[in-house]
Amino acid sequence: MNRPRGYAGNILRVDLSSGRRWGEDLDERMVKKWVGGVGVGAAYLYDEVSPGVEWSDPENRLIWTTGPLAGSGVFGASTFNVVTKGPMTNLAGSSQANGFFGAYLKSAGFDGIVFQGTSPTPVYLLVRDGAAEIRDARHLVWRDVFDVEDLLRRELGVKEREVSIYAIGPAGEHRVRYSAIVGDGGHLAAHNGVGAVMGSKNLKAVVAYKGTDTFGIYDPEALRKANRELYEVARTWGPPFQKWGTAGGFSAIYGVGALPVRNLTTNLYPNHERMNGQFIRTHFKVKPKPCHKCPVSHVVQVTVTEGPYCGFVGEEPEYESLAAWGPVIGNDEVGATVMLTREADRLGMDCNEASWTIGWAIECFEKGVFTTRETDGIELRWGNVEGVRELLNRIARREGYLGDLLADGVMRASRRVGGEAADWAVYAQKGVTPRGHDHRGRWCELFDTCVTNTSTIESTFGGLKPELVDLPPVTDPFSHDEVSTLNAKFNGIRQFDDCLGICRLASPDPKLILKCLNAVTGWDWMLKDAFTVGRRVVNQLRVFNFRHGMKAQDERPSKRYGSVPIDGPTQGRDIMEKWAWMLENYYRLMGWDPKTGKPLPQTLKELGLAELIRDL
Amino acid sequence: MPKVSVEFWTWMGKDLGADALSPSEMRSVLGVVVEHGTTARMLLDRLAKENPRVAEKVFHRERQRLYPQVVAILNDRVVREADLYDAVLSDGDRITVLPQYVGG
Repeated sequence: MNRPRGYAGNILRVDLSSGRRWGEDLDERMVKKWVGGVGVGAAYLYDEVSPGVEWSDPENRLIWTTGPLAGSGVFGASTFNVVTKGPMTNLAGSSQANGFFGAYLKSAGFDGIVFQGTSPTPVYLLVRDGAAEIRDARHLVWRDVFDVEDLLRRELGVKEREVSIYAIGPAGEHRVRYSAIVGDGGHLAAHNGVGAVMGSKNLKAVVAYKGTDTFGIYDPEALRKANRELYEVARTWGPPFQKWGTAGGFSAIYGVGALPVRNLTTNLYPNHERMNGQFIRTHFKVKPKPCHKCPVSHVVQVTVTEGPYCGFVGEEPEYESLAAWGPVIGNDEVGATVMLTREADRLGMDCNEASWTIGWAIECFEKGVFTTRETDGIELRWGNVEGVRELLNRIARREGYLGDLLADGVMRASRRVGGEAADWAVYAQKGVTPRGHDHRGRWCELFDTCVTNTSTIESTFGGLKPELVDLPPVTDPFSHDEVSTLNAKFNGIRQFDDCLGICRLASPDPKLILKCLNAVTGWDWMLKDAFTVGRRVVNQLRVFNFRHGMKAQDERPSKRYGSVPIDGPTQGRDIMEKWAWMLENYYRLMGWDPKTGKPLPQTLKELGLAELIRDL
Repeated sequence: MPKVSVEFWTWMGKDLGADALSPSEMRSVLGVVVEHGTTARMLLDRLAKENPRVAEKVFHRERQRLYPQVVAILNDRVVREADLYDAVLSDGDRITVLPQYVGG
C-alpha cells in the first residue's frame, strides 16, 4: 500500500481477550473521509460496536488515534484522541490528551490503536518500532498513575522522554464512571469515563517509545512557513497562555459570570484575584513542563510557597482544575487547589465530574440531607479541602456509602438520593456534567453540552469564535436565537480540529491549520472541506447515539444547571424560557428533524453517510 | 460632568500611563470625566485615540467596535454589545473590559 503522506499508514489492533495483535492499513480513502483522531475513532466505533453492547462489555472498543499533524513538527502537535462508548452516558464519548503520546505513537509506526476484548489478568501494552507487546501488569494494580509512570520507566530502564506512558489509576480499576486516562506527568483524556472502559478491559497502561518515522511530509518548507505563522498568531492573537497559563483567565471568566461557585448557588467569589493564574505565577515557584515541541509551553510545575500547603509540588492547575477545586467546592485557598489537582490526577479522575459531584454532596451536607453518618465522619463543609481529599480517595476505591454513591457521578447519585436534593445536581440529562464553567453565563456552552454527541462540548470551545471561520461575530451572548443559530453554523470546525492531532491552545486559527495540513498531506483543502469532515463526525456519532438509546428529550439541562442566576453579572438570565424553540432552530439548521433531532436522509447523503440512513 | 471608571483586565499593567492605577498584573483602572451625553462607544473611541495600547488591544477605531478577543461589561452586568455601545454614561458608571478566555 502507498501510505498517505503525513500518516504512519497503520492502525494497531489489540485483542486483549486472546492477546493477538495485528496491523491494519490506514489508506487514502479512509483518511480523506475521516482524516484521523475523532474521525477515525467514530468510524471504528460505529462499525464495530453494535447496539446492545454496554460500555463495560468486552465487545466495546477503546480507540486511541492520532492525526496527520501529530508529530509533524507543528508545534505542540502531539495530541491523541480516545473514542469509546462511555459509562457516563452509555453513548459515544470523545476525549483528547496532549503531552508526547500522539507524536511518539506515530513515530513508532502507528496512527492509532484499537483495543477490543478484555484481558483475563491486568496487562500493559508496549509499542516500539512498529511492533507491540502485551506485558504483565499485576505489580501495577491499584497503583496511582504517577507511580505507574515511575515504576515502568525504572523497569524499562528509560529516561523520561524516551517513552510516553498513559495509565489508569485506582479509579479506573474500580470502574468509577468518570475515570480518566492520565499520562506524561499529568495530562488527561477525561471525558465520559474513558479510564473506566480501560479498567473494564484490564488494561493498566500503554507505553509508546519515541521512534524514527517521519511520515513522508509532502512539503516540509511550506510546513515550516505555516508553522511559523501559526506560532506568531498563537503568541499574539489570543490570551497569553505562555505567561499566565489557562488559569490566567480565571478572573476574566468570573467577570462575565461564568465562574462556577458553590455548586451554582451563587455567582459571587470575591477572592478571585488571589486564586487566578496571575497570582499563582507571581507567588509560587514555577518550572516549565512543555508538551512535545511546544514553544508556547503553558504547562508548568509549581511549588507552593505560602499558606498551609507551602512546599507542596504539583502541576499548576489548568483553569478547569482551578475552578473545580476552588469555587465549585467553596475553597479559596489556592495552594489547596494544587494539592487537590494532583490528588485527582493521581487517582485518575476527571476533575469536572468529580468536583460537580462533590460540590453537590457538600450542599447536601450543608442543608442536612447528609450527616456525618453518610460521610463516615467527614464534616463536608464548603472549603473543607482535607475532607474533599479524603472523599476523593474513598470515591476512587468506592469505599463506604458515599464513596460508592458518588463514584457513579452526580446524575445517578442525586436520583438515588431523591427528594429536594435531586434538584440541586448540575448535569446535562444525557448523564454528563459541564466543563468547569457556570454555563448560565456562557449559554453557547450550556446548549452545546446538552446537545452534544461527543459527551462534552462539541461545537464550541471557550465560547464561540465565529469570526475565525468567516461567520458574523456574536453580538448578544444571551440571545436564544443567536446562540442556537451560531452553535449550529459553527459546528464542525472543532471536531475537525480533533481529527488532526493538534492542541487547540497552540493552534487558534483554522485557516493556518489548514495550511499546515495541506503542507503535510499534499491536499488542497479549504474551510468547507474541514466543516464537511467535522459535520460528518458529528452526524456519525449522533446516529450511533440514537441506535444506542439516546432520546431527544434528554437534550436539556438538569433543574439547577438550567436555573436562573440569583446574583452576579448574569443575574436574571433565563435560557430555559425558549429552550424548545432553541432546540428546533438548532436541529433545523443542522439538517436534523426539528422534532426528533434525528439527522435527515438528505443531510446524511450530503455528508457521504448514506449507508447510515437504514440504521435510523 | 459625570465621572466614570474604566477597568482593563487585559494585562496592560502600567502601559496606560501615569493616570491609570494598576492594582494587579491583570488590572488597570482609569478614572475619566466625560461630557454629558457621552456614550460608552464614544468613550472607548476617545481612550483608543489617546492611548495606542487601547487602540491596539481593545477598541478598533476604524470598525468602531471592540476587538473579538475582548468583551466589555457595564456596571458588573453582561449586556448586549449594541446596548453597551449606545449606553449614555452617568456619574459612577463602570465599564470593565475583559479578555475572551478559554481553558481546559
